[in-house]
Amino acid sequence: MNQWKNFSKGFIKDNPVFVLLLGLCPTLAVTSSAINGLGMGLATMFVLVCSNMVISLIKNLIPDKVRIPSFIVIIASFVTIVELIMEGFAPALFEALGIFIPLIVVNCIVLGRAEGFASKQSFISSLIDGLGMGLGFAFALTLLGAVREALGNGSIFGYKFIEGDAILVFILSPGAFIVLGYLIALLNRFKKTT
Amino acid sequence: MNLLTVSGSPHIHGDNSIKKIMYGVVFAMIPAILISIYFFGLDAVKVLLISVIACMFFEWAIQKFLIKGPLTINDGSALITGILLAFNVPGNLPVWIIIIGAFVSIGIAKMSFGGLGKNPFNPALVGRVFLLISFPVQMTSWPKPNPLFARKVLDAITGPTPLGNLKEELKGGRTVQDILEHGTKMIVDGKEVLYQIPDYAQELLGNMGGSLGEISAVALIIGAIYMLCRKIITWQIPVAYLGSVIVFTGILWLINPNIYINPLFHLVTGGLMLGVFFMATDMVSTPMSSKGQLIFGLGCGVITVIIRVWGAYPEGVSFAILIMNAFAPLINKGFKPKRFGETLKI
Amino acid sequence: MAKKESSFLNMVITLFVITGIASLALGGVYNLTKEPIRLAKLAKAEKAIKEVIPGFDRLEIFTVKPTNGTDSLIFNCGYINNELVGTAVESYSNKGYDPTQIKIMVGFTPDGNINNTAVIQQKETPGLGTKMTSPKFKDQFGGKNPKNFILKVKKDGGDVDAITAATISSRAFCGAIQRAYDAYEKENKQRVQNKEQQTQDVVTEEQEEK
Repeated sequence: MNQWKNFSKGFIKDNPVFVLLLGLCPTLAVTSSAINGLGMGLATMFVLVCSNMVISLIKNLIPDKVRIPSFIVIIASFVTIVELIMEGFAPALFEALGIFIPLIVVNCIVLGRAEGFASKQSFISSLIDGLGMGLGFAFALTLLGAVREALGNGSIFGYKFIEGDAILVFILSPGAFIVLGYLIALLNRFKKTT
Repeated sequence: MNLLTVSGSPHIHGDNSIKKIMYGVVFAMIPAILISIYFFGLDAVKVLLISVIACMFFEWAIQKFLIKGPLTINDGSALITGILLAFNVPGNLPVWIIIIGAFVSIGIAKMSFGGLGKNPFNPALVGRVFLLISFPVQMTSWPKPNPLFARKVLDAITGPTPLGNLKEELKGGRTVQDILEHGTKMIVDGKEVLYQIPDYAQELLGNMGGSLGEISAVALIIGAIYMLCRKIITWQIPVAYLGSVIVFTGILWLINPNIYINPLFHLVTGGLMLGVFFMATDMVSTPMSSKGQLIFGLGCGVITVIIRVWGAYPEGVSFAILIMNAFAPLINKGFKPKRFGETLKI
Repeated sequence: MAKKESSFLNMVITLFVITGIASLALGGVYNLTKEPIRLAKLAKAEKAIKEVIPGFDRLEIFTVKPTNGTDSLIFNCGYINNELVGTAVESYSNKGYDPTQIKIMVGFTPDGNINNTAVIQQKETPGLGTKMTSPKFKDQFGGKNPKNFILKVKKDGGDVDAITAATISSRAFCGAIQRAYDAYEKENKQRVQNKEQQTQDVVTEEQEEK
């Protein structure tokens, strides 16, 4: 398999958020600022890469009938590790992301890649797939967070370029839906022309 | 395949067209426009003009440069959206906020879905709710009405709406009677001012704080009667909407008149009349069958009262209509209009 | 390598091993992060206190029952060289626009003035009530003594500039400060009484010695 293609598909062609529309719950809920989106994206990416690697390594050791519980235990362990590390070393981010960190366990992308890709492919392919998909997810969340933060708070990554309040609705939940919808529309248009 | 059989002449020509209906609605809004100018003066003219021009500009620009389709700017729908948006905002709203509202109404709520006839939600209401959530401070400071021919120096430029005042004071633990009889003491710029909720006659006429178009129930009802006679709107939604509001608030009032105000107050204050006749009756975003329309009106009424009585906002008309707009396709599925020529089962 | 068969024994062993390894890994990470997490939690609790009372080198934390019989308040007294420099009182109000409790920290200097206020938790309407965290609103209490600074919004005849279009949130905030102040006053009186008693005891002891 062409590894470059394997890696780059997560960005545009099979982007987990914009094309596959997977894991929308954290996508819509935590992207009220660019830094939150980036943090969530990187946390998910870490879990995705680790679980992909481990699962592809032990795929032959797991009997078919118990593969889903096994996957979930592995994913949940990595999520808990992320949670503990984040609570210890990035408490502000941990507080902002709140319940959505433990909820990475049920993020469809992670289990979806484990079941649909890593349990069938080699270690290297799974690692690269995890990296590509994870980066695509992090990229999408950061973009969404940046647009929402810019419109809703007049700042990007906390750097304020408008004094006072901006269009508040964008950092609230309806804004997430509106921005996500228009980003998908833009991407579709971009994909059509290229 | 010949789907449509056209028989020989003579034909009866139905002279309804989008344009005719739209300008009928505009005509029906004239009394309310005049009242808003009477009470808010030049501010009302300014907001109306900016809103209309911005809405028509965005419609034209999006059709010309983004969709690159036929221009339908003359059908009057953008004009109506513009007037309705202006009707839904306070008269002292800054120009740039009005323009954002117009962009959201036309760009997001209407053109993103494909233009007139395809929008699931009422464009003007989407614009208003967008602004209300985004700019809560500007959208909830209401200029005091000041009649054009009896101008007086006001002790305060802005004042609360009756609904807002009532909700705030009820939350502070006062009873309805106390608020209505003794008013509310406020301190504006260091001076003590007494705010009294106006009596029902004043409220009917429109002498109260509120958005441009909602203040005068009388003017709106005159327009509504005209639209009903011209058959631009049907009676089902207004009757179901008003009826459910009266019944629901009536029940609450009978249970405890100390904390729930009477139905009449709910009818004449806030944006109820404007919503009932001009926005809940929007042809595009409401159910088609008359049974469906009755259910739509009922839902609007119940949600409006729930928000007004227990919700976070003092006024719930716009949220209620938008929520029921979302249900319109479902209602349409459940209550299909009778096919023409179908025999009645007896 | 062939796929393992789904026999009962295989399944049990696999799940057992996986959960065993996972718990070992988690235990290790837990041990590693225990200390940083404790420090982070401590820093978070202290941040609000530091915001409202000037630098201190020792904290004394105790709870006080308020006068009107509601929940007790947490007092954080800061000392420098065993001298009281300020008291941070954690107070709350249930009268906000949102049902979520508004929690604030009010710092008092020893002379009873408000030093500063900080919001710990609030879920008010964005753009309206949330402005209680803005310096423009919360800093107006700094240096005021509730004895002659009435903790009510101007609309209600007090001295507080309410947040524009968010009277209810402003009232709740003022109420929370008032609660903290009432408890602080009560506590202060007790402290003064205790001190007097102590000095009296000392005096009587001295007299007895004579």
